[in-house]
Formats: sequence, C-alpha cells, structure tokens
Amino acid sequence: MPLIRAFGPNEFWIIVLAAQWTIALSVIAFAGGGLGGLFIALARVSDAKWPRRIATWFIRLFQGTPLLMQLFLVFFGLNIFGLGINPWFAAAIAFTLHASAFLGEIWRGCIEAVPPGQREAATALGLRYFNRMRYIILPQASKIAVAPTVGFLVQLIKGTSLAAIIGFTELTRQGQIINNATFSPFLVFSTVAAVYFVLCWPLSLLAGRMEKKFSRATTR
Amino acid sequence: MTNLQTNASAAQGTSDLAVRMEAVEKWYGEFHALKNVELSVKRGERIVICGPSGSGKSTLIRCINQLETIKSGRIVVDGHDLTAGGKNVDIVRQETGMVFQQFNLFPHMTGLENCTLAPMKVRGISKAEAEKTARKFLERVRIPEQAEKYPAQLSGGQQQRVAIARALCMNPKIMLFDEPTSALDPEMVKEVLDTMIDLAKEGMTMLCVTHEMGFARQVADRVIFMDRGEILEMGTPDEFFGNPKNERLKIFLGQIS
Repeated sequence: MPLIRAFGPNEFWIIVLAAQWTIALSVIAFAGGGLGGLFIALARVSDAKWPRRIATWFIRLFQGTPLLMQLFLVFFGLNIFGLGINPWFAAAIAFTLHASAFLGEIWRGCIEAVPPGQREAATALGLRYFNRMRYIILPQASKIAVAPTVGFLVQLIKGTSLAAIIGFTELTRQGQIINNATFSPFLVFSTVAAVYFVLCWPLSLLAGRMEKKFSRATTR
Repeated sequence: MTNLQTNASAAQGTSDLAVRMEAVEKWYGEFHALKNVELSVKRGERIVICGPSGSGKSTLIRCINQLETIKSGRIVVDGHDLTAGGKNVDIVRQETGMVFQQFNLFPHMTGLENCTLAPMKVRGISKAEAEKTARKFLERVRIPEQAEKYPAQLSGGQQQRVAIARALCMNPKIMLFDEPTSALDPEMVKEVLDTMIDLAKEGMTMLCVTHEMGFARQVADRVIFMDRGEILEMGTPDEFFGNPKNERLKIFLGQIS
C-alpha cells in the first residue's frame, strides 16, 4: 500500500458521510440551545432582578469569549472534574451553552420587539405572566424570531467545524484525516467547503424568504 | 360559575365607592407624575378627565389597574386595597376593563378570539360559553359580522369597538378609557363615542381620559381637570364648562374649543 493515496470517489464519500456528525452535533446544539435559549430569554425579560442579572452575565460571558476557548474550557474542564476526555460530550455541552447564550439574546430582542401595549392589554385583562407569555407575547415574538434564528443556525453549523480541534470527527476533522492520507489539500478542503455550503445555503435562502414574509406581514 | 364569582366579589365590595384614591404620589425617576391625588368615584358614576398632554391623566387611570405602581398613598378599587398587594391586584384587574388609545388588540387573533381569551384563561369559562358572551358584546358594539376578522382587516373605529367588547367580556364593574378616540380618523370618532354613550346609559362606572368635550357634557357626572400631576378642578359639566375657576383650566378650555 503506497504511503500517499490518491483522492478518489472513495475519499470523496468518506468526507460527505462525515457530514452526518456535523449535522448531529448541530441538531443537538440547536435543540439544547433552543431550550436553554428560551430559558435565558425569559430570564432576561423577567420582572425579578436576579434571574435577569444571571442571564445577562451568562450571555456576556459567551458573547465575549471565542467559541474555540469555550470548547477548550469545557473539554479540559470536564477532565479536571474527572469526567474523562470525551470529545462528543464536550462538544455537545460547549455548543449547547454557546447556542443558549446567542439564541437567548436573539429571542430577548424579539420578545422586546413586541409592542409594550400588547403586554399592557393582556395585563389589564387579568392575564398573568405565564398566560401573557404563552398566548400573547411568544406567538408574536416567534414570528419575528424565525429569520434571525435560522440565520444563527447557519452560523452554528459552520461553527461546529471548530470541534475538529478537540478531536471530534465531523466534517472538517474527516477532511484533515483524508488530507493526511492523500495530501491533496485543495481538493479535500474544496469538498469539505462544498458540503458545508450544501448544508447552509438552503437555510440562508429560507431565512431570507422568512424575513421578506415577515416584513410584509408587519407593514400591513 | 361566572354568576357565583361575580356575586362573591360583589359581596366583598360593600362600600358604595368604586374607586378611592388617597394622597397618591407617583414619580417617573425625577419627574413628579402625580401629586397628592385625591379622588373618590361612586358606583355607576361617569368621570371624564381632561388636561394638557403630560398632565398625568393617563397615569392616573393606569394606576387604578396597576399598570403603573405608585410611590405612596392608597388606592382602593371596589373594596380591594391595591396597595396591600397580594391577590388584590389580580382581582382588581379582572374587575376593571381598559380601552387604550392604540387599541392594543392581539394581532394574531381574530376579533372573537381577542374577546374569548381572557374569559377562558382567567375566569376558566368554557370556549362555547365564552364565544356566546363574546358574540353578545360584539353585537352590542354593533360589529357582530366582523367577529372572524383579524384586527389588521378592520378599520380603526371597528378595532376600538372590538377592544371595548373584549374588555366587556370580562364583565368588569369599572371601565377605564385612555384617550379611546385620539388615534382615530375623525369620521370614526362618533361610532366609538356612541358605543361609550350606550355603555354609560347602562350604568357602567366609567373613567374616561378624553379631549371630546361634547362627550363630557353629554355623559359625565363629573369632569376633572389635571395639569402637572395635580387635580386642579373637579365639577359637574355645567360648573366645569360654564363657570371654570382655575386659571389654567380657563386657558385650556380656550385652547380646545
């Protein structure tokens, strides 16, 4: 077996198939981040001071540090706490926290974009916090949120490439591995980039369309 | 169930006062919005509050259902002391209806859904019964045929009448109107005022912030003039318009008529 393989269809498919791990990590981060983000967003607009403060600092922390550092800290941090080195687990936690902070801040903006008269009218009718949020504020905020949320999902998918650095074998890492065997970096990373593009482009289109639909809905 | 609840709360509010405000002070940061406001409103009484913009008239009625909290003083609504807090705030909000300058209908719901949400979620009434009540009130504000439309499909006047119906669906004892016709095109003002006049004739306790002096003359038992956070004059429409005493009120009346 020669030391350097040629980049053939086989190598191409190995890279394409690695996209499943990129997708899996993105889905976990997005689902976890969605739940965490809702929690953070609600805490940010809470009437109580402490939930608001904690959420604000959580967001500041994750917006003010590089994603790569967050990955490193969770990855090595888990080891310090005796949980062993597990790239899957570390990446899932780091990306979930990261997505929670960003989605939380995006959604806070959307909640606050709902005119204050809506909250006042609901309050005046006797609806309390939970029902106000559930029936009045969140349905309106979620319409505003669709486009920026899809936009963030695109960022998140591309961001998962950083997980390659802690040894999580997804699209980018698989590309590095294939490149080490074939030494055709241009071909390999073009393929990797193309796969990311195929994942992200439809989402960008969707976000654009949502945005147009929303601006039509609000300019009535 | 509704009747039981209404009876129970009626028994609680034994005083003949719908609203009592005592030495109410309200600040927005450095701005003194309400200064030592004293006001008693009897059941069934119709009060019109007027004054220049920024005079505190909206703030005053927004304190009655605690959309604004006060710094000091006491507000008792239908026998429930708001300043004592606790459940009283919830009870008072259920017993007072509010109509806003900007309508504030819920845009993602039809007129009917706007009217049924609070009775179902707050009072726990069944959907069928809530819809029956809602249609009754939509009929009373003369737009039963618009029930299935969304707010954006309605004119300003129609939206405001749906908003009035929405408030009435909670069977309030007191209705608060915060400049209900100020955002309307002139030709739609009358339809909303007519609805309010009907309501007044039925004996509803009403507090209206408005610049519609014709309305004040026609339905008000008392007219109040506010400026810079103070109640400066209060009297029957005849006294108020015929023989105003306060200098600022005289100037104000000169400007609007």
